[in-house]
Formats: sequence, structure tokens, C-alpha cells
Amino acid sequence: MESKNTIQDRVRARDAAMRLLNRLTAGAAVSAVVGVGLLGAIGAYTFPGTASTSTSTASSSSSTSSSSGLQTSTTPVHRSSSSGVAVSGGS
Amino acid sequence: MNNTILWYATRGAGAVSLVLLSAVVVLGILSVLRVQSTGWPRFLTVGLHRNLALMTLVFLALHIVTAVVDPFTHLGWLAAVVPFSSYYRTFWLGLGTIAFELLLAVVLTSLVRGLIGQVAWRLVHWLTYACWPFAVLHGAGTGTDAWSAWLFTLQAICVGAVLAAIAYRLMAGSRDPLARERSSFLADVDRREGR
Repeated sequence: MESKNTIQDRVRARDAAMRLLNRLTAGAAVSAVVGVGLLGAIGAYTFPGTASTSTSTASSSSSTSSSSGLQTSTTPVHRSSSSGVAVSGGS
Repeated sequence: MNNTILWYATRGAGAVSLVLLSAVVVLGILSVLRVQSTGWPRFLTVGLHRNLALMTLVFLALHIVTAVVDPFTHLGWLAAVVPFSSYYRTFWLGLGTIAFELLLAVVLTSLVRGLIGQVAWRLVHWLTYACWPFAVLHGAGTGTDAWSAWLFTLQAICVGAVLAAIAYRLMAGSRDPLARERSSFLADVDRREGR
């Protein structure tokens, strides 16, 4: 009788541990999905990859070129999927 | 899909993968140390270690796929498979490719552990100790946010947790009183079965 109780206790403990494992796994999965969104958002906030303000590095009266010969941007600089475009003044 | 969202997803999934991988390494070390209590039986550590390892692969896949399909980066699938073949930050990206392939080897051999035998599985599993630092270095060298306060803190926590677990393991030694006998018995079984 005593051994039967012991076995039942062990089975109950194992079932409880399995439930805990399932809950922890599900919690980790949900946290990871939320984490991707959250860390992506934090990354977007700290390093957005776009410059929303225009910059002016040319101190001369000429508005078309700087001393390096590159044209300054007067419009917001965004990431672009097109290649071969050089943009300065976006930092 | 917006290119910028893909880029943010790559960075988010990369950071989450590092956290998950670090948790997997810590749980692996704890399982070797046979950590357990009344409410936390040993198989819980092993089960969580396995589940999180599979989850790490899923989020690593998300990290890689979003990076490759992002038209801005033009990385290409070759860079995701062949180490040091990327034009962009060749060395640091190559470390990430190696880390992914090592993790893939570790997880796949764990899934077919019964077929390849204990000794081969253990040898491949030791590669984790190479995989994790490669992943950390990849994040620090390639990551756009590598030196941002938030990612730096996250990386410091991951590195601290894994180093603490390794130090604990080295100090604690083996908790299994029959470790040597068990290993030699399993090696004998492998030898007799020709594995």
C-alpha cells in the first residue's frame, strides 16, 4: 500500500514537472516572439537607418556642392533598395 | 514587405537568438551538474535545454532569412551557407555562419543520438563551446547595434551567465559518482555495436 502511494506520488510529481516544462517552453516561445518585436523596436529607435533632418555641410554660398565635391542633401535620407547611389551628409 | 522592417527583424531576431543560445548553454552545463530539487527534477533541465535549442534554431532561421531576403543588404544565400563568402564584413559575418552550422550539427546529432552513439554525440556536443563564442563575436563585430547600450548590456548579461556557469562547473566537478563507469560502459556498448 505504501509503495503504491509512493509510485502515485512520483507519477504526480512527474506530471507536475511535465506541466511546468510545457509552461516554461510556451513562455519562452512567447517571450522570444515579443523580444524580436521589442528589441527590433529598440534597435529602430536607437539606430533607425534614416536621417529625418537635412544637414548642411557647405559653408560657402554655393548650395550645390561642398568642398569634397559631393552634393549635400536637402531631403531626408532613407535606406534604399536601389544600388549605386552615393549620398553624403546623412550622418 | 518594407525593407526597413526586415532590417529591424534581423536585428531583433539576432539578439533573441543570442539570449536563447546562452540560455541553452547554461542549461546544458546545469544538466551535466545534475542540478535538481524537489520541485525541479533533473529531466526538467534536460527537457528545457532541448526545447530551447530547437527554438534557437527557429529564431536563427528568422535572423538569417530576413537578412538574406532584405534587398538592401544583397547578402545572398551563399553568404548564409559558406563562411567568409560575404562581401559585407566578411570575417564577422563568416563567424556567424560557422556558429549557425556548428549549432545545426549539434542539434541534428542530438536528434539522432541513438543512431550515432554516445561517444560521437558527446564529441559533436563539445562543439557548442566553439559555437557560442563565435555567435557572441559575430554579434559584436557585425551587429549594427553592437555598441548600443541596450545590446551591450544584453551581451554582457549573456557572457556573464555562461562564464559563471562554466566556472561553477569547473569548480563543482562531476556530480555523478558513476560518471567514469557509465562512460566506459557506454563506450563499450558503442564498440560492440560497431558505432
